[in-house]
Amino acid sequence: MGGVDVGEGGGKKKATNTDINMVPFIDLLMCTIAFLLITAVWVTNSRMNADAQVPGPPNPDKELTPQTPEKVLNLHIGETDFALVWKQGATVVSEVRVPKPPPGDSPIIRYSDLAKKIESEWNTNGSHRDPSDKKLDQAIMHTDNRTPFKEIIAVLDALYATKRKVKLPDGDKDLPVFNMTFSVR
Amino acid sequence: MGAHDRPPSKHHNPHAHVIHQPGRRLLFKIPLKFVWNKVAGHGKRSGNAALNLVSFIDFLITTVIFLLMSFSASGEITVDKNVKLPKAENVEDIIDAPMVAVNGNQILVDGTLAGSTRAIEELGRMQKIDELFNLLKNKRELWKQVQPNKPFPGVCILQVDQNVPALVVKSVFQTAAFAGYPNVSFMVGKLPKSG
Repeated sequence: MGGVDVGEGGGKKKATNTDINMVPFIDLLMCTIAFLLITAVWVTNSRMNADAQVPGPPNPDKELTPQTPEKVLNLHIGETDFALVWKQGATVVSEVRVPKPPPGDSPIIRYSDLAKKIESEWNTNGSHRDPSDKKLDQAIMHTDNRTPFKEIIAVLDALYATKRKVKLPDGDKDLPVFNMTFSVR
Repeated sequence: MGAHDRPPSKHHNPHAHVIHQPGRRLLFKIPLKFVWNKVAGHGKRSGNAALNLVSFIDFLITTVIFLLMSFSASGEITVDKNVKLPKAENVEDIIDAPMVAVNGNQILVDGTLAGSTRAIEELGRMQKIDELFNLLKNKRELWKQVQPNKPFPGVCILQVDQNVPALVVKSVFQTAAFAGYPNVSFMVGKLPKSG
C-alpha cells in the first residue's frame, strides 16, 4: 500500500507514518479510464483543401491596374502519364511528363514520383516562397470525367506533399505550396 | 481458530458432521501437513500475499494520460455508411462546416437528399445541381442571420466515395461554389506519414 513517511515522530499518542487509502484513488482512475474509453473517437478523418477560385466583387474605390499574370501549374492526368505544364497567361513556360506507375494490388494509390517531380518543378518555377507571403501558387487539375475520385485524391496528395513555412498570426505553419482547383469546360 | 489450529485428527469424531466451528474450509480436508500449514498461515510464507500496487497505479495513470491526449471534445463526425473515403497523407484537421455526402446513387447535405449521382452520370456533362444549390444557399443565409457580424467562411466538406467519377465531383464542386462555398474540402482517411 502507499504511504507517506513524515519522519520520526516525537509524540507517543499518534503514529507519524500514515498509510494513504489507495482504494478511492484507484476507483477514480478506473472511472476516468472507463469514461475516456466510452467517449473515445478512434476513427480519425481529415480533409484536403481545394479552392473554386471565385473572384469577389470589384472594389469601386480601387483603381484597376493591369498586372502581369502569375505562373500557374496545369496538372493533366492522362491514361499513361501526368503532364506538368507551367503557363503564364496563355504562354507555356515549361512542360514535363511523369509516367504513371502501373496499378498495384494495394487499394491505396500513391504517386511518390509525381510528388518529387512537383517539388523540383516548384523549386524552379514557384512564385510564392517568402514566409511572409501568405499567397499560395495555383495549380489547375485537368482530368477526364471518368477518373475515379481516389485517383484525384492521390494526385492531390502528391501536389500537397511539398510544403513551405508561412508566418501566420498564430505562429509559423507548414502549408502546402499549391492551392488546387479543377479545370472546367 | 480452536480446532482449526490443529491438523485434522486421524481418529473419527462421531459429532463432527453436526456442528462446525466457523472458519476457513478451503484445503482443510487435505491431510498433508505442509498444505495445512500454508492454509492456516503457520508456514514460513503467509497465504495472503500483499499486492504491489505501484506498478498497477503506474499502468492506470499511463492509460489515463494516453486517453486524455487522444480525447476529442468535438465528438465523432458521422460519415455516410455508403461512402468509402479514399486515404491521403498530406491532410489537415476537420473543421465544423456543412457536410455534403456523395455516394454511388445520392447526394446528401447533412443527411437530407440533395440530388442524384446517377442523373449526372447519365447526362454525361457537368451541371448545376439545383436541389444541392438551394439547400446550401439556405444554410448560408441561416448562418448569416445567426452571426451577422462575422464574415462568412464559405467552407463546405465533401464526403465523396472513392469510386465516384470526376464528373460528379466537379459538378458538386461547382454547385457548392455557386451557392457561396468556394472553399471546398474533401474528407479523406488519414494515412501515417511515410519516410
